[in-house]
Amino acid sequence: MDFNVSDELKSAQQLAQQILGDYTDVDQLKAIEQQEERFDKALWQALADAGLLGLDIDENHGGIGLGFYSLTNLCEEVGRTVAPVPVIPVLVSAAGTLRRFASDTQKDQWLPGIANGSTLISAALEEYHNDDPTMPGATAQKQEGGYAISGTKICVSPAPSASRILLSARAGDDLIVALVDPRAAGVVLNAQVVVTGETRHELVMDKVQVPTEDIVATGREATQAMNWALQATRTALAAMALGACDKMMRITGQYTSEREQFGRAIATFQAVSHRVADCFIDVECLRLVTQQAASLLDQGRPAEEAVLMAKIWCGNVTHRVSQASQHCHGGTGVDRDYPLFRYCEAARQMELTAGSSAQLTGELGRAICAEYLASSA
Amino acid sequence: MNIELTPQQKALQQEVREYMKTVMTPELLEEMKIPEFKEGGGPEFRKQYARMGADGWIGLSWSKELGGKELSNIEQYIFTDEVVRSGFAYPFLTTEAVTPVIAANANAEVRDEVVGGVKQGKVVIAIGYSEPNAGTDLASLTTRAERDGDDWIINGQKMWTSLANFADYVWLAARTDPDASKKHKGLTMFLVPTKTEGFSLTPVHTLGVRTNATYYSDLRLPDKYRVGEVNAGWKLITGQLNIERLSLFTHGQVDSLYQGVCEWAATTDAPRGGKIIEQPWVQHNLAKVKTGLEVVKLICWKQAWSMDQGPLDMADASVAKVYSSEFFVELYRMLLEVMGAAGTIKMHSPGAILKGKLEFRWRVGAVLTFGGGTSEVQRDIIAMAGLWMPRTR
Repeated sequence: MDFNVSDELKSAQQLAQQILGDYTDVDQLKAIEQQEERFDKALWQALADAGLLGLDIDENHGGIGLGFYSLTNLCEEVGRTVAPVPVIPVLVSAAGTLRRFASDTQKDQWLPGIANGSTLISAALEEYHNDDPTMPGATAQKQEGGYAISGTKICVSPAPSASRILLSARAGDDLIVALVDPRAAGVVLNAQVVVTGETRHELVMDKVQVPTEDIVATGREATQAMNWALQATRTALAAMALGACDKMMRITGQYTSEREQFGRAIATFQAVSHRVADCFIDVECLRLVTQQAASLLDQGRPAEEAVLMAKIWCGNVTHRVSQASQHCHGGTGVDRDYPLFRYCEAARQMELTAGSSAQLTGELGRAICAEYLASSA
Repeated sequence: MNIELTPQQKALQQEVREYMKTVMTPELLEEMKIPEFKEGGGPEFRKQYARMGADGWIGLSWSKELGGKELSNIEQYIFTDEVVRSGFAYPFLTTEAVTPVIAANANAEVRDEVVGGVKQGKVVIAIGYSEPNAGTDLASLTTRAERDGDDWIINGQKMWTSLANFADYVWLAARTDPDASKKHKGLTMFLVPTKTEGFSLTPVHTLGVRTNATYYSDLRLPDKYRVGEVNAGWKLITGQLNIERLSLFTHGQVDSLYQGVCEWAATTDAPRGGKIIEQPWVQHNLAKVKTGLEVVKLICWKQAWSMDQGPLDMADASVAKVYSSEFFVELYRMLLEVMGAAGTIKMHSPGAILKGKLEFRWRVGAVLTFGGGTSEVQRDIIAMAGLWMPRTR
């Protein structure tokens, strides 16, 4: 048992912290929010130049191959700065899945471009009322030279600027994982504005022709790929939430230490300081479960339950820390000229993406039931 | 980063688990049915405690000089976790918290007498800190010790002196400098043999277990039983609080309750068909328990690991105390809810589920959120040490 992280991983995280810090002052964030696409391309390129887009891409494909754990550290720093960069869909859900499940030809084709920042591969794991990519409603019809895919995915980001979008569809009893070109015939992208104010896209596919070379996996392999993608995405969301919640809590600690009412800093009221102390406890809990899930996935060990618990904590802690931070700020917190609102909106997005706490608690409960019924039978 | 037990650590865990099964003899289980001996102190308890000493299980974390094995804090935690899980009333405060302090600070004769006795499983020490008017504000305690030649004369009263009814010594904090402006600086530590004239006690029956009020009436104590310098007691008290907490909130004791309830629910018929565990609301409670319990495990491991790296961070220690104590109480409730009305049936009554352990643990657990430092004080510490917020008033 060792809670230490290597110096290599620590310096990668520090480098990320430094670069992200340089690109995320309030004016820079506001400028990006005015753009049609909420994506800071200059920051993305700076991360690429520092090697940070290739943390979980092997050296043969232009990455630095530090592994999944290191990538979750990057996600944590993005959460801490609410930087407008698509690290989770591109680096975790798409590149991470390609690295582990795609053919050599596909890896050669896509991973170097992701690592150097020239190519964006996105992922679309969610459908309406269904965030399990191993059980998609989208269908795939096998045909000469590939598949024809139909169905709808939601809240896709980035979509128009992505070269391909990784997604799953059902081909009869089988599952397939495919890379869909958003410019292909039969694809319609409808703008969807989400809680953060970001414009994401509904991806509607009507018999979209996907050539064999863009099929990543089929059958059991495809199920494994989507299971991995789901677990990795949930863990990365927990890591991002960790960064965001830690920052919200610290902003709140500082604000309440400076804000005076009744002639004294409001942090000197126990009712206030204890609310912030509760955030600190929550953040530590989230840190531990996230580290556990990330290190298990990093080592290729079974992580299903650890990931469920991390995402359950992620949903609970984002909600509680966000509300406590708003509350302790009074009116200042809701003002869009003050940085807190961005974190609260981002926190809600993380909470409700890839499975809410209530849903995953139900899932975990069913798993416990199955385990104990099996062992007592 | 690797948050799993190593094969060697798992082997130790297994070894302790197997050994403790031999300690929990049918005779001991029988003895523990007597309320007086529920928390230890009976002849069979004494026998098994001494056997653990003879078999070399006591003081594993102590220095080799004291006859210990200098186990790491992680290994020590694994040992503690398994001993608590077994249900044996092992006196952790004696072995882990107080004895190392005595070993480092007592005079040679008393050190040999006490440390040697503990090592052999023959000595139990009760803690004499709290008083009727000194709880969370411990430094305001008023039990007096006055110098009289080579002796000290002690007068006062202690509260919640658990185990004093069978302990061999009380580890006593007394005021030796009555100047009120030196509240923390006027305290000295003593070891009081419970057979000393002037020592007496009355039982205090709590929601959970029996404890005691202890009285010190013109009790004459030779100076050799003073531990550490005069008026330097505060450091000896606070120095062992983190170690104390590490043995209070362990994972195994509550994990075994969770597992027990899961097994019970998977084998018990539900009124409308199927098993209890197949009902969604039961699964919901069990999943919430498991999600919270996972953090108890990780916090315990992280604390033990951190103590091997250096001094424990103050805020982290307080996080562990608040989270664990408040979650234990929630866990008892969520598991009792699964059992419903039958969960109220006491140990040894017909129909008790899991031997009524949950009903009992809940009653005992009422002290968790304030014992060893209240949640309020811990949150103050978190805000100051973890978030650099100003002191509350």
